[in-house]
Amino acid sequence: MADYRLKTEGLTIGYDSDLIRDISLKVQPGKIMTLIGPNGSGKTTLLKTVTRQLKIRGGVIYLSETSMDDMSDTEISKQMSMVMTSNLTPEYMTCREVIETGRYPYTGMLGILSDEDKKIADRAVEMTDTSDICDRQFNSISDGQRQRVMLARAICQEPKVLVLDEPTSYLDIRYKLDILSRIKKLAADENIAVVMSIHELEIAMRLSDVVVAIGDGKILRCGSVDEVFKEDFIRDLYGIKDADISLLGVKPWIDKETVISKKPDASVKRKAHSIMIQGTMSGVGKSLIVAGLCRVFTDMGYKAAPFKSQNMALNSYITKDGLEIGRAQAMQAICCGMEPDVCMNPILLKPTGDKTSQVIVNGRVKANMSAKEYFAHKKDLIPDIVAAYEKLSKMVDIIVIEGAGSPAEMNLKSDDIVNMGLADIIDTNVLLVGDIDRGGVFAQLLGTLDLLEPHERERIKGLIVNKFRGDPALFEDGIRILETKGKVKVNGIVPYMDIHVEDEDSLTDRFYVNQRKAIDIAVIRLPHISNFTDFDVFDQFEDVSVRYVEESEDLCKPDMIVLPGTKTTIGDLKWIKEKKLDQAIRKHASMGVPVFGICGGYQMLGRNIDDPDNTEGGGSEEGLLLLPVDTVMGKEKRRTQFNGKVINATGVFNGICECEVTGYEIHMGITKPFDEVSEFTSDSTGHCSGNVYGSYIHGIFDKKEIVSGIVKALADKSERRVETESVIDQSDYRERQYEILADTLKKSLDMDSILKMVGIE
Amino acid sequence: MKRSRCISVFTIISVLLMIMVALNVMMGSVSVSFDDVINVFAGRSVDEMVRTIILNIRLPRIVAALLLGGSLALSGYLLQTFFANPIVGPFVLGISSGAKLTVAITLIILLSKGFNIGSVGMVVSAFFGAMLAMGFVLIISVKVKNMSILVVCGIMTGYICSAITDLLVTFADDSNIVNLHNWSLGSLSGMNWNDIRIITVITIICFVLTFLLSKPISAYRLGEAYARNMGVNITALRVMLILMSSLMAACVTAFAGPISFVGIAVPHLMKSMLKTSSPIVMIPASFLGGAVLTLFCDGIARTVFAPTEVSISSVTAVLLVPVVIVIMIKRREEAGSR
Repeated sequence: MADYRLKTEGLTIGYDSDLIRDISLKVQPGKIMTLIGPNGSGKTTLLKTVTRQLKIRGGVIYLSETSMDDMSDTEISKQMSMVMTSNLTPEYMTCREVIETGRYPYTGMLGILSDEDKKIADRAVEMTDTSDICDRQFNSISDGQRQRVMLARAICQEPKVLVLDEPTSYLDIRYKLDILSRIKKLAADENIAVVMSIHELEIAMRLSDVVVAIGDGKILRCGSVDEVFKEDFIRDLYGIKDADISLLGVKPWIDKETVISKKPDASVKRKAHSIMIQGTMSGVGKSLIVAGLCRVFTDMGYKAAPFKSQNMALNSYITKDGLEIGRAQAMQAICCGMEPDVCMNPILLKPTGDKTSQVIVNGRVKANMSAKEYFAHKKDLIPDIVAAYEKLSKMVDIIVIEGAGSPAEMNLKSDDIVNMGLADIIDTNVLLVGDIDRGGVFAQLLGTLDLLEPHERERIKGLIVNKFRGDPALFEDGIRILETKGKVKVNGIVPYMDIHVEDEDSLTDRFYVNQRKAIDIAVIRLPHISNFTDFDVFDQFEDVSVRYVEESEDLCKPDMIVLPGTKTTIGDLKWIKEKKLDQAIRKHASMGVPVFGICGGYQMLGRNIDDPDNTEGGGSEEGLLLLPVDTVMGKEKRRTQFNGKVINATGVFNGICECEVTGYEIHMGITKPFDEVSEFTSDSTGHCSGNVYGSYIHGIFDKKEIVSGIVKALADKSERRVETESVIDQSDYRERQYEILADTLKKSLDMDSILKMVGIE
Repeated sequence: MKRSRCISVFTIISVLLMIMVALNVMMGSVSVSFDDVINVFAGRSVDEMVRTIILNIRLPRIVAALLLGGSLALSGYLLQTFFANPIVGPFVLGISSGAKLTVAITLIILLSKGFNIGSVGMVVSAFFGAMLAMGFVLIISVKVKNMSILVVCGIMTGYICSAITDLLVTFADDSNIVNLHNWSLGSLSGMNWNDIRIITVITIICFVLTFLLSKPISAYRLGEAYARNMGVNITALRVMLILMSSLMAACVTAFAGPISFVGIAVPHLMKSMLKTSSPIVMIPASFLGGAVLTLFCDGIARTVFAPTEVSISSVTAVLLVPVVIVIMIKRREEAGSR
């Protein structure tokens, strides 16, 4: 009896020419031989030659003691079976049928299985634990399950030699381990000789009896794990220069792990402390409290960060990596002095219609879903939320978590991932915020406490009464009532603050302003308006009003008309025409009133908007014909931060030429001029003609030079005087607002007990 | 594969087959009563005309529809297996048109010289044409592995062959044209028992040989590499697949002209009814299904505008093209969902 199951003697392999010559290898029964080497080194070619998919170009392959040339197809197939990487999609074959094809060499003319054959197939099923998927269609199971079925098929063939080509590719770690441990057991129990190619060295190291290293058109080394896995050799084989090779694991080949220098902030603490702010309803001021707390913690010297698992908002912020998160979280991150990161808001919902929202996961658009679809799907997003939280947790000391809406929406409470559900996952304490300005603060706070489950109630360690107008001393009775009835301490009474930070979303009060001041800017209130924080900067001017206008008669006599960004350009353009706003805008434009379009508004100013890929419902819509540009909607969403300048400004805003512009772009179309027109913002992001200006840049007004230039031009035009000297960059302005916010909170809240809730003494 | 499902599907097809046969015997430009049919088969005396209609016109035609329809579907099944491509069939790949072209050439050349080539000659020349078209498609399939390009090339081949055939028909002697023209549109009319004998022999041989291929075909479903590993002689299998499918397609074309879409649609219909692709079931099922469907279509072709006959290809096209489209859409969806 030979001491090997498979042997090659002077074997030459290759496709159309010789790739590797003179290969002599031996595989013994019960042993596992692995082939390692870089991509394209010839591992698969060798396996394909052994399994006769490629012609032998020279030399001999022996199975047991017989040359394969002298054996019939059937004889060979009784000795050797294989599992390849190829992606099979047989129609209408159950897994059981696939497994049973392994009996092929043993059956008669028509391939009908005898009872004996069926028993062997049963055993193969048992050995691979595939009985539960046997009756399912092969095409309907997962990659990992398929690989198991293919292994069962190979076992069914009762081979003496088993050949596997990268059996673990495309599998996750669970299936990887599953398949490999089965292969290992198979070799040991059935005395099968196994030959397999594998990419994962750390696995090869622990699994192989013999390792064959292939590279440079030859067999470089063949031997035990200790012989082949030498650091220098592996580095040479794969051409690894600088990378830390100890990541592959230590022992037996290198003794100790080299210390990887980690980022200092990652090593400080394993897990951050946390506190969650929930509200009795939306609009109670959670976002501001979170922002303020973030700032207070930062001022105390802690590294803090905001977190909100799921945010529903029209306004989004683009991070440095080009990912979308809620604007509120970005604002809160800036309060912490941190760069906004996508892990601060893993899920963002942007309403696109009455019932549907764009679902953005980890900063990327995942799908458009109806509320119902999302409700069914949201549980699947828990891993994303947890992963984001954990990532953030490694970066900071304290995480201030913001809830959403009310934690006591009884009909929606199952599968909650934003309020108490999230608090349970993270195991954190909660502060509950009520809004006294809107009235009914006792009902809000006590009612919410009442509706919560006992274990949820326990998480609430303090109440906050927000937006209190007047002298807090007058509310002492109120505090006593809340504390006796709610059995929770009132942490503080926060006064009503007139603070200008970025608005969360459509809930903003700004929409209802209708007072007209010396300089009157009319923003068209599109139904799907988005990213309208662009206009916050005008708050700095006493004499400038920004009004949101829906009807043409409300336009009155504005000094400037602005078309803001929108989620659905074509839809909102149709709305403009329905409302006859288009005629009104054109009329004002013809009288010399500046018209400014941003993003979607810029697209509307052009001649035509085409939607060939059906991103917004298809078709083509005529624009307002104020700028000689055409827009074509595309599938790709462009998200990027922008640093450029105003190249040329025609008309009244001539003064802002050469001014620096910072901001960001987020849109799905490309806009190109079809006629002579001046480039407005750099990189072809905007164009202007006369007193009509269009640009893709959100935040274009944020620089003081630009905003004061514009206001001044408008004032000069109407021969009014407006004070523009004290204007600062919007970012500096906001910074001041954050300071006011933090100071107010520090004064009104019991920070010591909040620190205790966070877990810091 | 579920035994109970297979049995019920086969039972349904068999019952349908009997109903189709009965209807086809009775219906036509002359209606024959059920009693008369029984009488004819029982050997009792009936009107001589009725007897002739049934025995010499309708019965041969029915048998031809059964055998040729079955062959066509089977040929389609083999081609789909060979190319691992769900939207091929003898008509789509231009094999039927290739056969049509050579038959037309032979007919015109020989008839003009006063020879009558007879049925066997027709089959031989059709087979030659089928192999020619198949060879062309094979060359393309080696060069490009893309499914749709293969089908497009097949359709183009079909068009070229049809164009040349039309050209020949245009310049042929008048006396040949009528005959040739009818045939080239596809029709089962004018079958006689002599033809049936030859058809039967060819069909039975092909069916048996194909059935014997069911074991390797079964393994081939997992792709060439695995099939080879299981001990399938790939070269031999491929040669057999090509020979059998071409021979069957040629036989159909020689006797009935090109009949469209039966070859593509039937295997899919059967597969989705049986919910298995096991060849040992699929081969007889495709054959029976093809028989029933062709019989049904021929019945329609004969009767809707009776006494004028519609070409059977028109009927099969109208009925089966939607099926083919549904198949393609479904495949796309599946591919997309993966």
